[in-house]
Amino acid sequence: MLSPSKAASFYAGAALFAIAASSFVQYRLPVGVPIAAAKEDPTRSAETVLTSTQGTPAHQALPVATWDHDIAPLLYAKCTSCHHPGGAGPFSLLSYEDARRWAPQILKVTQSRFMPPWLPEPGYGDFAGSRRLSDKELELIKSWVAAGTPMGNTEDAPAPPSYPSQWTLGQPDLVLTVEEPYRLAPGGEDVFHNFILPYPLRITHYIRALEILPSVPSIVHHANILIDRTAEFRRQHPLDWKQGIAGMELTVDAGDSFDPDGHFLFWKPDTPVVIEPAGMPWRLGPGNDLILNTHLKPSGKSENIQAEIGLYFADSPPTQMPMLLELDRDDALDIPAGRSNFTVEDEMTLPVDVQVLGIYPHAHYLGKEMQCWAILPDGKKEWLIWIRNWDIDRQSVYSYKRPVLLTKGTVVHMRFTYDNSNMNPHNPHDPPVRVKAGNRSEDEMAHLWLQVLPANPQKEHQPDPRLLLEEMWMRSRLRKMPNDYISLYNLGTALAGEGKTSAAADIFRKILRAKPDDGRSWNALGTVTESMGDWKQAQEIYKKAAAIEPENCDARFNLARLDLRQDLPSEAETSFRALLGSCPDDPDVRNGLGLALLAREQYAPAQTEFLRALTLNPSGALALDLHEHLAFAYVQTGRLDDAISQLREAVNLARADPAPHSLLAQVLAQAGQLHEAIEEEKSALRLNNKDAEGWNSLAVYEARSGDKEAARQGFEQALRIDPNNLRARANLSHLIEKR
Amino acid sequence: MAQHLIRPILFLALIVSGQSAPFGIDLRGRPIGHLNLPDTRVVVLFFASSDCPISNRYIPEILRLRQEFAAQHVVFWWVFPNPEDTPEIAQEHQRQFSVDGNTIIDIGQTLVRLAHVTATPESAVFVVSGDSLREAYHGRVDDRYLSLGQERTRPIRHDLEEAISNALHGKPISRPTTTPVGCSIVPLAAAQ
Repeated sequence: MLSPSKAASFYAGAALFAIAASSFVQYRLPVGVPIAAAKEDPTRSAETVLTSTQGTPAHQALPVATWDHDIAPLLYAKCTSCHHPGGAGPFSLLSYEDARRWAPQILKVTQSRFMPPWLPEPGYGDFAGSRRLSDKELELIKSWVAAGTPMGNTEDAPAPPSYPSQWTLGQPDLVLTVEEPYRLAPGGEDVFHNFILPYPLRITHYIRALEILPSVPSIVHHANILIDRTAEFRRQHPLDWKQGIAGMELTVDAGDSFDPDGHFLFWKPDTPVVIEPAGMPWRLGPGNDLILNTHLKPSGKSENIQAEIGLYFADSPPTQMPMLLELDRDDALDIPAGRSNFTVEDEMTLPVDVQVLGIYPHAHYLGKEMQCWAILPDGKKEWLIWIRNWDIDRQSVYSYKRPVLLTKGTVVHMRFTYDNSNMNPHNPHDPPVRVKAGNRSEDEMAHLWLQVLPANPQKEHQPDPRLLLEEMWMRSRLRKMPNDYISLYNLGTALAGEGKTSAAADIFRKILRAKPDDGRSWNALGTVTESMGDWKQAQEIYKKAAAIEPENCDARFNLARLDLRQDLPSEAETSFRALLGSCPDDPDVRNGLGLALLAREQYAPAQTEFLRALTLNPSGALALDLHEHLAFAYVQTGRLDDAISQLREAVNLARADPAPHSLLAQVLAQAGQLHEAIEEEKSALRLNNKDAEGWNSLAVYEARSGDKEAARQGFEQALRIDPNNLRARANLSHLIEKR
Repeated sequence: MAQHLIRPILFLALIVSGQSAPFGIDLRGRPIGHLNLPDTRVVVLFFASSDCPISNRYIPEILRLRQEFAAQHVVFWWVFPNPEDTPEIAQEHQRQFSVDGNTIIDIGQTLVRLAHVTATPESAVFVVSGDSLREAYHGRVDDRYLSLGQERTRPIRHDLEEAISNALHGKPISRPTTTPVGCSIVPLAAAQ
């Protein structure tokens, strides 16, 4: 598939993550997920250009179209992004001579709506970048060809657009190149091939845009990029990964943190640059591979392909975290030979308000009709897409011009119809045979992916809304496949993330009854057990997990962490150092080692580990902790300025969190910068004015700066909030005595 | 029965005589006067164009058929009928696609008319009968493409292969004409 993105997302979206590592940091995910605004500029759309052309008196008077006046603007808006020299289209349509040469084909393929490629039915989802020609435009082409392809008045001719032969957005920040060229045979059936591109840097970046240079644009039909967080696919093919691996669909492991796939990394020739909306770059870091899942069409001659991926880095981590959700009825696909209208349906009920940003339906060669609609809680029906004549060769991701708001309780429906008769020209079997779900092109699929953004920010003491979506999604999958391992595991981790530890433990025990040797689930059960307070039992469970999978870092990490927790820093240090052999780029391991070193008062080596972890993981909850740990280590060595700058970074990472402000205030005060300390503590109190300790700290800084009246008020405020706060009481007495 | 399905005999040799380049020119610009050798039994014309993607995608299949029938006195010709496909362009195209063998630039579109073809890719099969050739088939190579945009993963009917085989064995050709899918042949006037 390529749906690698989807297939990829299947796992990645359905994040198989080990809470092991993340339990070190309990789901302090970034707060505040504002709504993405529509980024479309309607004045720049092709539709607008064409409408203005059509609206001219000349056209209304007599429908004899000319190249200069009617056809060139139309082709430039909807055709030449592929049909230009060096483009993916087989010939250029930039000049009058080109267009005249191809006029019979242009007429034929536009009237049949084969070109431009655009599957969605108008009126069923309002998509950005629609290439569909209007009836008026079709008439223009018809009249132009009928009139003998007149050129018109050359003064009217618009200048042809220019297309860069290299990177559209300029030189990328990083270019990844497929290791070894792949030779595509001249003829035969289409080829589905996966190229593996390891991420070579030792620093995590966030990707705001990517572009693919396929090297031979005309044969790369489309491509999907999967993020293989653990390089698992490469490890599965140690000898031949450089040549790439054949296959249409694949799934990859989502790694050990809850960072579900949120982006469609889908590339096709007419949209060579995949640009993410502002605030929504995606993470790429050490240990990750990109997998370029391609659909290649033989051209008639032998072709050598060596694709390049250009990556453009964002300046800052994402402020908005979309998520991919999947409707899926593979379990119901069992299509009798000859059946022309086999239908499957799925639905899901949304647990939170979401904005739908994009949609990606996917089937193989038997797919015929695809529908997706939502029924809102008030009964209103909202169409998300309708494709009457599916064609895998023209599959695409579709982005909405404006995000579609679906409120909590909305039911999203999917309905796919398949034609397994010999009337379906795409049917790969002759005569037709019974077809079930599978990853090969001759198998079938029933997938529909939605890119959604939680519509409301995460509330304090409430789980990340994406966890609720994940829980809903996995429960929906389990209704269809009650014993599906991935769904059960991901449900368990979602529940654990929401703090429903007992329910999560039940799920992991259920898995382990069926798969008693599943080290990953033992480890997950350990983390849940530990978070319920029974660390001794958790330790036994981790030991079991580590014995089953000695190479897996998660359980060993958790054991090392328990050493730390039991105040055994030497043992912890030894364990963390041993872990670095298996997972040198794991920021949690670096953080753990740093903490062990801190406990042993090895401050300078600890600083090194925290800094290394920060390059691996520059954002999110772990980064926040790392800045704080690093600041602590700096304070111990007297480097107050460095500590202050670390805490300022922490403040920037979590502006709504009062804790980093308070820490920063403490260090500022220690450095003698009392005025700034006061301001910082006030910032913390603006975020949480019920914090008695905060008021007490503020009052201390006020007192030290000489403002005794303000100090008195601060201590009193602390005591109003917490009359038993002994520190504030003692401080107030001390202040009064000194007077 | 078979004879009824076969198109009228074309006395190509007669039409040809006395013209300077009766069948067009080769890649070096030299006129071509004969499509068959003394022992040729069947002549196959494959109408191609350098810039039509479907035409290009059929090159491996034509090479396969040429090899398959190599020992059976079948002669294959690559015919470029479009005005833009000059000998230089056609030569470069044949080099890029590693195609060797007989190539004709159909400069007057004589073969287009004789073979009744309208598109690239399209094929025509002629049976050698004494000094003349009679057309037994023209149309698509196979049914992989049903229309522009309607493509099977692989063909079901191999029309050209069947036509050659039946022509060799004197058997009837079940569909002596089929509709090609590809790019219209550019009329001479349009390019002038």
